[in-house]
Amino acid sequence: MKKNTTGIRHRNELNYPQKAVMYLFLLLVGVIMFLPMWNVIVVSTTTALEASRSGVHLWWREFSIEGFRYVFEVTKLARPFLNSLFVTTVGTVIQVLLASFAGYVLIQRDLPFKNGITSFIMLTMMIPGDLTMISIYQLNRDLGLLNSYTGLILNGLIAGSSILLMRNYFKSISYTLAESARIDGASELRIFAGIFLPISLPGLATVFFMDFVSRWNSITIPAAILTDESMYTLPLKLKAMILSTSSVSGTAQIPENAIMAAIVITAVPLLLIYVFAQKFLLSGLNLGATKE
Amino acid sequence: MKKLLSALLVLMFMLSAVAMTATAETEGGTVRMLVNVTGGKDEEENVLWAQALGEATGLTIELEKPASDYGNVLMQKLSAGESYDLIYIDASQYANLVEQGALTDITDYIENSEILFNNVPESEWEDLRVDGRIYAGFNKRELHILVNLNKVMLEEAGIDYTQIEPTLDGYYEVFKALREANPSEDFYPFNTILSENWDLQPWMASQGLKGGVVVDEADGQTYVPYATDAAAPVWDWLKKLYDENLLDPASFVDKTTDMRNKLGAASQQTAVTVDWAAWVGLQNANAASGGVSTEEYEIVALPGCQTPDGSYMLHKGNASLFAIPINASNVEGAIKVLEYFATQEGGELLSLGIEGHDYTVDEDGNYTLTEIGASHAMDHGAPVPIYKDFVNPIGMNLGVEEALTYLDYASIETIIPNESDYKSIVGKWGISIVRGEVETLEGLASMREELVSMGICDK
Amino acid sequence: MANRALNPGMIDKRSVRRQKLDRMRRYRFIYVLMIPVLVYFLVFSYYPMALGIFNSFREIQLLGNARFVGLENYRTIFSSPVYSQAFVNTLIVGVGTFILQFFWGLLLALFLNELRHKLSRSFYQTVSYIPNLLSWSVVGSIWITLLAPNGLINGILDWIIGDGYRPIVFMSERSLARGIMIFTGAWKGAGYYAALFLAAVVSINPTLYEAASIDGASRMQQIVNITVPSLMPTIKIITMLGVMGMLRNFDQIFVMQNSSILDQVRNLLYLIYTEGIVQFKIGPASAAACIVLLATMIISFTVRKLIGYDQGD
Repeated sequence: MKKNTTGIRHRNELNYPQKAVMYLFLLLVGVIMFLPMWNVIVVSTTTALEASRSGVHLWWREFSIEGFRYVFEVTKLARPFLNSLFVTTVGTVIQVLLASFAGYVLIQRDLPFKNGITSFIMLTMMIPGDLTMISIYQLNRDLGLLNSYTGLILNGLIAGSSILLMRNYFKSISYTLAESARIDGASELRIFAGIFLPISLPGLATVFFMDFVSRWNSITIPAAILTDESMYTLPLKLKAMILSTSSVSGTAQIPENAIMAAIVITAVPLLLIYVFAQKFLLSGLNLGATKE
Repeated sequence: MKKLLSALLVLMFMLSAVAMTATAETEGGTVRMLVNVTGGKDEEENVLWAQALGEATGLTIELEKPASDYGNVLMQKLSAGESYDLIYIDASQYANLVEQGALTDITDYIENSEILFNNVPESEWEDLRVDGRIYAGFNKRELHILVNLNKVMLEEAGIDYTQIEPTLDGYYEVFKALREANPSEDFYPFNTILSENWDLQPWMASQGLKGGVVVDEADGQTYVPYATDAAAPVWDWLKKLYDENLLDPASFVDKTTDMRNKLGAASQQTAVTVDWAAWVGLQNANAASGGVSTEEYEIVALPGCQTPDGSYMLHKGNASLFAIPINASNVEGAIKVLEYFATQEGGELLSLGIEGHDYTVDEDGNYTLTEIGASHAMDHGAPVPIYKDFVNPIGMNLGVEEALTYLDYASIETIIPNESDYKSIVGKWGISIVRGEVETLEGLASMREELVSMGICDK
Repeated sequence: MANRALNPGMIDKRSVRRQKLDRMRRYRFIYVLMIPVLVYFLVFSYYPMALGIFNSFREIQLLGNARFVGLENYRTIFSSPVYSQAFVNTLIVGVGTFILQFFWGLLLALFLNELRHKLSRSFYQTVSYIPNLLSWSVVGSIWITLLAPNGLINGILDWIIGDGYRPIVFMSERSLARGIMIFTGAWKGAGYYAALFLAAVVSINPTLYEAASIDGASRMQQIVNITVPSLMPTIKIITMLGVMGMLRNFDQIFVMQNSSILDQVRNLLYLIYTEGIVQFKIGPASAAACIVLLATMIISFTVRKLIGYDQGD
């Protein structure tokens, strides 16, 4: 078409058929990504009776916040919410810190046993939960971690994936920086805390976000070590709410709008952090995944 | 950074120390219970509930309530040698734990206890016997499933529900009339959970077939009645319903919640289902609380098809139980709790909840639910307690009383250790038959074959 | 690895060892950094894993005795036809999900990069990431609703086809079962991959594009020749992460299975749950879990070599 007359600027965009394909793809993806979420939001803000209407809800017939009221007054999600917020935040901060230590270790050139250490870490990412589920309870009991915040924070304190991400992130920082600092006589601590950490702030943000999400949603360990209701975390409550409707022969059901409200409440903090972290993530994720 | 970290850790240890609270000893000792649904609905109420139970029994009650994944947690705790005096289990967990020798044989306690023996129907105990011995007591009384019908829709189709002929053909005519009265595409007269097939009993009764695994008296071998050729007429009937657009095709995949929602007042996308007796009342109660009058919507109950010998055949829910593990330290105390659960007062605690919290009683002995009590829907573990003469002082939801008149026709199914295999195999082949993917008899033969190969039955 | 290759084999062993010790001394502080991590993994991963492996050779009665049964548990598993079927299901759904999710995420990232409108770009990014924030119990039930006979998909088909349309019961169609698992799995994870990809795309040195467009390359050529090759490191780490998690899909199947499609979708972890854990059979469950671990190790090791994950160390 006009490509010869308009020059470079035009070449930096796709031609029209390609653009058409692109918009079609994005539209399709947008719709199938968005609609289910929308359904959750609509159901959460309608009446109990209306929420039990079978099928997909795309618009309100009746608007009501009784689902949210139910969640706070009857199910009492406030305490679990705060519990989750506390253990997730503390746990994630420590986790990011340790992951950056380990990631830093793994970028050292000619460090003896480095590949061994990498494999050691990778293996932990492959262990299926079913293999450890029996002994993990015993372990927590023997360490006195049952029904404690310490237990909730300590379990899953380090994840192999965050270490690998940190490693790849640090790798993108020029290693010569460290070498020359070493020649100048800077201590390792100085090199790590003074050079690597500040530059990699976006990377830390990335790992923070990823870990925050997985901690926030974790169920298996909290379910195993908690019996004290004041310690319950949000996903535990949520799961109990979702499942309790399905089988029991006698019990009253929790209304659908309350369940959806609980889902919204669980997802909103993550969403807020995501929107907030998006800027960081763009640079952070990127460097973390780039090597050499 | 390091200081901050250590400060945090110290803080956490302090918090966790605070979380452990000491309890005073009582004369009967302490009974430590691991519960699932039984007890208070939130932390505060749980404490009150344990206190109330403790006062009534002269024991100190420690309640532990895992938030979710109860089965996993139970296994983790038992395999770690954790000592509980009572653990909540369902029927298939009962079977598995008895097999592993993890439960205390309490037959003698039961036979020597006036309360346990007299207040609980003999037949309930019989159902728990494994080689003549009993290893658990009851959490609640299990009700039965039966046919739930939308009375208003039936009337619109010109049908009086009390006059329905209790045969497969009789119900077929009902569905046809419902379809004619309501041709809407979203509406199907009948919905059933084929994939889990726990709700087929009222129809299988027409051939006198019982759900689950049954022992053939002739040769002592076990078999699955639903998989025999004798069940073919029922499967053919379901197929006919499907072919004629009377059976909701979603029955192949629907879960219990979906089915309930469709029968519910807000959807009314189906008019006939099979569900637990309590749900007759819950559907009506939900409608009432949503401002729907009984002129517009009412669910009623029927016992389904008559058996060849003119009776009915329903099944009861798999028991929910409290068992005493073999490493329990206070068996006497645990028995006391089981006894209390089998009394009127214990039943009130398990259903209505705690006096002064969930309900109040005035001078004339009238019970009134508090706002909290109302939101807990008279369920603190046992909507209908095991005590045989239990009277709910508040009264039951609309329709439940009628449904309960059919309880005598109900019996439990044999407990199957690998129940999920049973359901999925019967479901898979049953659905294939109904969809017409296989010939009925052929499909039943395959069903039997797979059931045997998975070790569920002998033939 | 690469570094060791630099040292020719002729240097005598003792001096190599001394060199190594020297280096270890030099990296003292570095090793100290690693200690909490190693201790954590030893206590919370390796110790429970070792016990699990130990249990896989035993027959365990809850609150009762346990006895050593050798390979009995493994024999039980390998002789069961259901397990081999489950292994096939695990692989098909696992690999399929990974591949679809990979390309979905990549395409999404590439297209988002072409999107000049800031707000809609941010919208897409967020919306496509949301499913990743939700648990399977939520995502699964959403899709079951959408695919139900009275659900959205059938509604659309009905609208297109019109009179006489008989709704498809998607979740009971055996031929579609794996496809649905793969699709919903990718749906949940694509946003995560897209985020990783997009970040890498954005960071590509703009001068590369400028040079290319001066040379007359079209945007499509630029994408194929510049963008995609620059994504190699990201592709590597995504592949590694994907492969290591491939066999560990439980929640999705647990939530979305039903009797009609169970044979097509039942995977190893689901089987471990229904045949082992629910029935308190700790021994066989542990043995099956060991097999999953071993299979994951083999696959991961192979992929790690194939894609050269350690290169450049």
